[in-house]
Amino acid sequence: MNDGAADLLDDELAKARSGVRTALAVLVQAHRRAVYSLALRMLGSRDLAEDLTQDVFMQLNGNLRTIESNKHLGFWLRRVTTNRAIDQLRRRARVQMTSLEDDQPFFSAEDDSDPLLQRHLRDLLSELTPAARAVLLLRYQEDLDPTDIAQTLDMPINTVKSHLKRSLETMREKSLGMQATRCEDSST
Amino acid sequence: MSQDIESRLRAALRPVAPSEDFSQKLLARVLADQPTQPKPRRLLSAGARPWAWWLTASLAACLIAAVGVRQHLEQQRLQQSGLEARREVVEALRVTSQKLNLAYEAVKNQSTSLADEKSGV
Repeated sequence: MNDGAADLLDDELAKARSGVRTALAVLVQAHRRAVYSLALRMLGSRDLAEDLTQDVFMQLNGNLRTIESNKHLGFWLRRVTTNRAIDQLRRRARVQMTSLEDDQPFFSAEDDSDPLLQRHLRDLLSELTPAARAVLLLRYQEDLDPTDIAQTLDMPINTVKSHLKRSLETMREKSLGMQATRCEDSST
Repeated sequence: MSQDIESRLRAALRPVAPSEDFSQKLLARVLADQPTQPKPRRLLSAGARPWAWWLTASLAACLIAAVGVRQHLEQQRLQQSGLEARREVVEALRVTSQKLNLAYEAVKNQSTSLADEKSGV
């Protein structure tokens, strides 16, 4: 987000705090994509993601006075979304990833990656623990650095780094395995 | 593959937009919801306003002291009036005693003079 857009959203936030409802609508429009994507990739279900997105924005409505800037708003939304998603996942005894809705754009359609690889990465992401999944999403979807991730998840920075390292190693190994299997299949 | 897992993840994890239908419902729901008003803080919420707690405690202490002083003064007043009444009773007894002494002296003198007259005759 460039400085002009950030300033504009800071103004809209000030208006929303003073009760201007259209300004709140602008803020929801600006942040809904990030909140929904985090919720979707954390929970793996479009319905659950929509419910969580709605809950987060309703919670924001009651907490607007505590938000100081658009940057703070982004931090707050990411924090609430990931924490609530982690809570939901932990409440479930076992995450049934087979219930994922394959017809949903769980990964972006804008990239030109191999669709099989996308599906494989999706499966690998969903196998991670809720905390590790949140760390990976904040790093590679939200493009936060480990310090910001640690603040967002209220987690020691060394834990964040260790989650990143372990998750990437696992994904790298399993992706190599998948690539090798595909090479064997294509040669036969 | 191994070296660009991070870039592949970045590409794969680009944010996705929610459906337009959901976005409209979300906006309608959020805009229809009135923000919850913050609850007024209680006067005695010790953490939030320590000065209010001290002010209330000081007022209570002043009130207790005022009641104590008033009770002490009332006690003194009652004691004073009791002493006054005692003094009045003692004075009354003293006057009565004097009167009785005078009457006794008079009766005694009269009986002495009657006896003298009888012996003189």
